[in-house]
Amino acid sequence: MTATAATAAQAGLMACEACQMLSRPAGEGQDAYCRRCGEALEFRHHDSIQKTWALVIAAAVCYLPANMLPVLNTTTLGTSEADTILGGVAFLYATGSWPLALIVLIASVMIPLGKLVALVYLLLTVQRGSVTSNHERTRLYRLVEIIGRWSMLDVFVATFTVAMVQLQPLMSVAPGAGVLFFAAVVVLTMLAAEAFDQRLIWDSAYPHRNHHG
Amino acid sequence: MADEPDLSNLPEAAVVRKKRMRFSVIWIIPILAAAVAIGLAIQRAVSEGPVITIQFKSASGIEAGKTFIKYKDVRIGQVSAVTLSEDYSKVLVKAKIAKHATGLMVEDAKFWIVEPRISLEGISGLNTLLSGNYIGFQAGKSTEDQRTFTGLDEPPTILDQPGRRFVLKARNLGSLGIGDPVYYRGILVGQVALYNLVNEGKSVEITIFVDAPYDKYITSETRFWNASGIDVSVGADGVDVRTESLAALLAGGVSFDSPDYLPPAAPAAANTAFPLYRNRAIAMKQPDPIERRFVLYFNESVRGLSVGAPVTLYGLRVGEVAEVGLHFDAATRTFRPRVLVTFFPDQVVGRMTARQQVANGKELLTFNKEARLGLLRQNVEERGLRGQLKTGSYLTGELFVAFEYFPNAPKVKLDWSRDPLELPVVAGGFANIEAKLSSILTKVDSMPLNAIGTDVKDALASLNQTLKDADALVKNVDAKLVPEGTKTLQDMRNAINSADRVLKNTDSTLFGKDSPAPQDLRDTLQEVTRTARSVRILVDYLERHPEMLIRGKTEEKP
Repeated sequence: MTATAATAAQAGLMACEACQMLSRPAGEGQDAYCRRCGEALEFRHHDSIQKTWALVIAAAVCYLPANMLPVLNTTTLGTSEADTILGGVAFLYATGSWPLALIVLIASVMIPLGKLVALVYLLLTVQRGSVTSNHERTRLYRLVEIIGRWSMLDVFVATFTVAMVQLQPLMSVAPGAGVLFFAAVVVLTMLAAEAFDQRLIWDSAYPHRNHHG
Repeated sequence: MADEPDLSNLPEAAVVRKKRMRFSVIWIIPILAAAVAIGLAIQRAVSEGPVITIQFKSASGIEAGKTFIKYKDVRIGQVSAVTLSEDYSKVLVKAKIAKHATGLMVEDAKFWIVEPRISLEGISGLNTLLSGNYIGFQAGKSTEDQRTFTGLDEPPTILDQPGRRFVLKARNLGSLGIGDPVYYRGILVGQVALYNLVNEGKSVEITIFVDAPYDKYITSETRFWNASGIDVSVGADGVDVRTESLAALLAGGVSFDSPDYLPPAAPAAANTAFPLYRNRAIAMKQPDPIERRFVLYFNESVRGLSVGAPVTLYGLRVGEVAEVGLHFDAATRTFRPRVLVTFFPDQVVGRMTARQQVANGKELLTFNKEARLGLLRQNVEERGLRGQLKTGSYLTGELFVAFEYFPNAPKVKLDWSRDPLELPVVAGGFANIEAKLSSILTKVDSMPLNAIGTDVKDALASLNQTLKDADALVKNVDAKLVPEGTKTLQDMRNAINSADRVLKNTDSTLFGKDSPAPQDLRDTLQEVTRTARSVRILVDYLERHPEMLIRGKTEEKP
């Protein structure tokens, strides 16, 4: 135990995630909560890395069908047309609205993918016990967390379109299976980001005591 | 050691990692997600049929992801990509076929683009105006699977219906097109399905489809001809105009029939090839089963004699002219017209009565060569059978070849071994008139003129006596009938006088000064005049106020 304990866990203390109060841990294997604000106290999130991995893999699995299956089924005068997200991007680009195409591409394809890649990177570096660029990784984690809540754009658009464009029998729009998977990707990545304990990034920098789990 | 060891130097006990090794429940989520995704993929793979490639000349209205392949109006596939072929000359349409339609993708399946079409036969594909073009499909009969197809340019006219296909061979297509009608005795019984060049582009093969049950009327003896447009032929037989129907008149078509003079034959098998004749006349007379060729050398102009012109025997058609040309006689170094005629013995037999046909027909038709030449020789050398050019129509100047017996014709010596055999001719037309005149003169010359003179003298004497008798008769009439006639005339004159008096009396009664009839007449006339005036006023008023007819007369406003 060094005098310059950099983390609460190293000092054998638990920091409240909500109010930052330090507490001594309760008995082994017993759940503890903050005396000041009532937040559950843990040295590190329970099974954080495993949970995050599970959710990230689930999100990655859903990411494929989300992009391959149609998001919207448009029926115009008996002709049914199924649009995938990438098909919509291509259509927007081909019809000249490249700014819109760019927005959709970034918001719907690249950000979910980026989040997945970022989480995988964080997980790998934490597991490997990387000690470098901790600040950057923390910033990356925050970015992933912030962006998460804005990722449902496509789902909203699809839902609104389906609700509004019901001009039977001339035209109708129905949601495709892709929307479901897309929503699953967004929710799962958000949960994965939530499950990841960012304090783990810093544990490797001061590896004297490990309190994973 | 009794004292307490330095505990701080002891290694820390390894943390039991049991908990960490245990799989968290959270792993259910990715497993579930993977299960759903894999399930979807499997479902897709199972429900997805093959991807086929169809080659089209152009992709009119075909769009990837939007165009469907329809069979009996059921979607059996969807176009997934439209690309150009490697040499940029064709369009390759890739389409995903539904699983349940996989069995339909066989060698002879047909694809075509359904779009609105307007043709003489009607308007089709109107539904595509709203739904967009789609790819039509026709199932094949083959069992060989295929994944690459060549699309048709035109929709096949023959869909799945009972009937048979036949092949017609022609020199050129004429005005025929795919979908053109096929007629049997004026009834629409089929359509032209397909045509293509064969024989290194030297002839055309036309595939027609004849619907059941009419296909059974096509036998090995059936003749097909082009019924396109109006067929006007001016020949030695006169002007012949034929059309099948208005549609055929405008668009063309094919007709077929079997010649009546042939015995009924068994129906022809599907895809039997038939020649396609230019018109009905040619179709129905050619090809006669037995034909014999003869050559005639004329000594006069054959202008007006065309190939196909009739060859007659006693004015009845027994053959036709096959060729008209020139012959160079090396011995005399002169030219002569050469006419090759085709003679159909069975047409001669066909002119005979049924009994004779049975008795002699077979013999005449199946004569061996010697017997045939013997018969011909007898007719030519003993009876004087000769060919002659005759004018069929003075209007057009068409000639034909007539065979008749000229017992007085000069004897000829023929080379009976030649093939085609040369037959003797006599001068026809104007040249023949000369011969006739001389023949008449010969007859006149040989008349017993002296005997005739005596007879005439006797006849004149007898006539003189007759005239004398007639004179006596007239005198008799004069004496007996004339006085009676005079009396009758006197009576008639009296009767006329009486009638004259009666008429004069009537005149004075009706139209005399004091007679009442004229007064009444004048009154009546005045009445009529007044009526006419009233009517005129009424009509004038009506013209100004036609509404009076409905509303009645209204008071006129000042």
